[in-house]
Amino acid sequence: MSFQELIRKETPIGWCPGCGLYGTFYAACEVIDELGSENTVVISGIGCTGRGAGYFNLDSVHGIHGRAIPLAVGVKMSNPKLDVIVFSGDGDLLGIGGNHLLHAARRNDNISVICNNNELFAMTGGQVAPTTRLGNITTTTPKGNAQEAVNAQAIILSNKKYFYARTTPVLKEHFKKCLKEAMAHDGFSFIELINPCVTNVGKSGKSPAQIFGEIKERYRITEESRPLKDDEFGIVKNG
Amino acid sequence: MSGNEAIVEGVLKAGLGFFSAYPITPATEIMESIAKTDVKFIQGEDEIAAINMCIGASLAGSKAMTATSGPGFSLKQESIGYAYKIGVPLVVVCCQRVGPSTGMATFGAQSDVMQARYGSHGDYVNIVFSPNSVEECYKLAIESINAAEESHSPVIYLVDGILAHMSETVDLDGVNFEIKKRKLEPLGTGKRHFTGLTSQGNTPKEKDPMIYREWYYSRKKEILNAAKNYQFFEYLENKDSDTLLIAFGISSRVILPLKEKYSIFRPIRLFPVVEQIEEIAKKYSKIVVIEMNDGQYRHELQAFLKREVKLISQLGGKISLGEIENELSGIN
Repeated sequence: MSFQELIRKETPIGWCPGCGLYGTFYAACEVIDELGSENTVVISGIGCTGRGAGYFNLDSVHGIHGRAIPLAVGVKMSNPKLDVIVFSGDGDLLGIGGNHLLHAARRNDNISVICNNNELFAMTGGQVAPTTRLGNITTTTPKGNAQEAVNAQAIILSNKKYFYARTTPVLKEHFKKCLKEAMAHDGFSFIELINPCVTNVGKSGKSPAQIFGEIKERYRITEESRPLKDDEFGIVKNG
Repeated sequence: MSGNEAIVEGVLKAGLGFFSAYPITPATEIMESIAKTDVKFIQGEDEIAAINMCIGASLAGSKAMTATSGPGFSLKQESIGYAYKIGVPLVVVCCQRVGPSTGMATFGAQSDVMQARYGSHGDYVNIVFSPNSVEECYKLAIESINAAEESHSPVIYLVDGILAHMSETVDLDGVNFEIKKRKLEPLGTGKRHFTGLTSQGNTPKEKDPMIYREWYYSRKKEILNAAKNYQFFEYLENKDSDTLLIAFGISSRVILPLKEKYSIFRPIRLFPVVEQIEEIAKKYSKIVVIEMNDGQYRHELQAFLKREVKLISQLGGKISLGEIENELSGIN
């Protein structure tokens, strides 16, 4: 089987030109194809990334805003043979759905979560999100964001057992490695994808190439299993 | 056993496979009882998690139920609309208590009638049942699961807090029932896309009014057709009476002695309103609804029957036959 068979042909993809979600989606299809897709179900919430569930040519569920994780937990409990992937955004998973993330990570529910972090609410036009960096200008922080961004790694690592990966679709092979390990992990796994919104960040005049180029400059990959520094990509896990 | 325990016995008989809820008075005993069984169970981190876990479990092949009370029922409303949209069989039990907000948490009421019918957003119709005895808690629990499976929609099981905690002897073996099988193929067996977006097949088409209309009317038809198999009501005719009393749930139990003087109609399926009431109502010059809220079902019946319907409301968790009789004597 080719990864292309995992793309739902009849559904046009609605993401903006240049969006990093294309790369994320195709790389995820490659991983699911390589691992075997028979038992895979993709579940999402609302937002740009949330649309992604509908692009997989698999049984998929596009839930309500913020509730992809409990939806996925119900699916997994009902049929533990299924490989359940949550494919959703930062607003959905770390904002409105934050409580579910907190508790699914604590319970160590056996699902894999891909959290596409574009650092704002993209679909509604670029409002501040819990993931927006300090000082960043958005439509609802015209003078710059006065708050620090949420630390997803710290939330995940506050548990006894955890799997946290930080990566980017810009580094496709690293993202694929993270997703493969996450899906093989017996327990709750969380991948934070650094993937800024090209349309809203682009309002400042930056091209997608510049935006993704800055990610390559800012971050480096570490193979060490220890809490990641702010400028590192890698995998931290226990249990 | 109590009403809550009878509900659990019923859904177990009907093949419940998954349950999730969040503690709330007066529904908590349902969760405590199910936790002792083999049903797949998780106590949700909140009300919204609980219903979404049920939706996921139902999609994956388990008959699913959640249970709550008024405030939790409000939190679940968005998800109820979603389950309706994507066609998921699900039972939502609401053990009603007094008041907006925390109100009088340990006192029973019938104050979520409107919420049961109209609480979610957008256009929808749904099936709502209301029992008036512990035995009926058992029987209607089975029928709620059946109706959810048949209509592919969330069925609201509207119990009041008094009945939830009231104990009566029930002959479980004396209740006849039939179990409806799951028709929806479980997740993992196809290439379907379940989405809250207006869609054509598996593809979102959220900018075409005709697709929305086509979807809505076919969904409505599916639910109304399924509802035809659940035309539950009770009619106690008193030929000497020109007044028809209408009550459901615990109110209908309390006013039962009034059958010596009045005719009584008890809707067991609150929504869609059982159509037989239309013909029956024509025989009476006066119609009075007696309910433990400020006229929620009266409002519905007035619209349905297109005539004046009087109200006797019993608020604050107290229901008294004496008070009701006094008020009735003043209604002309």
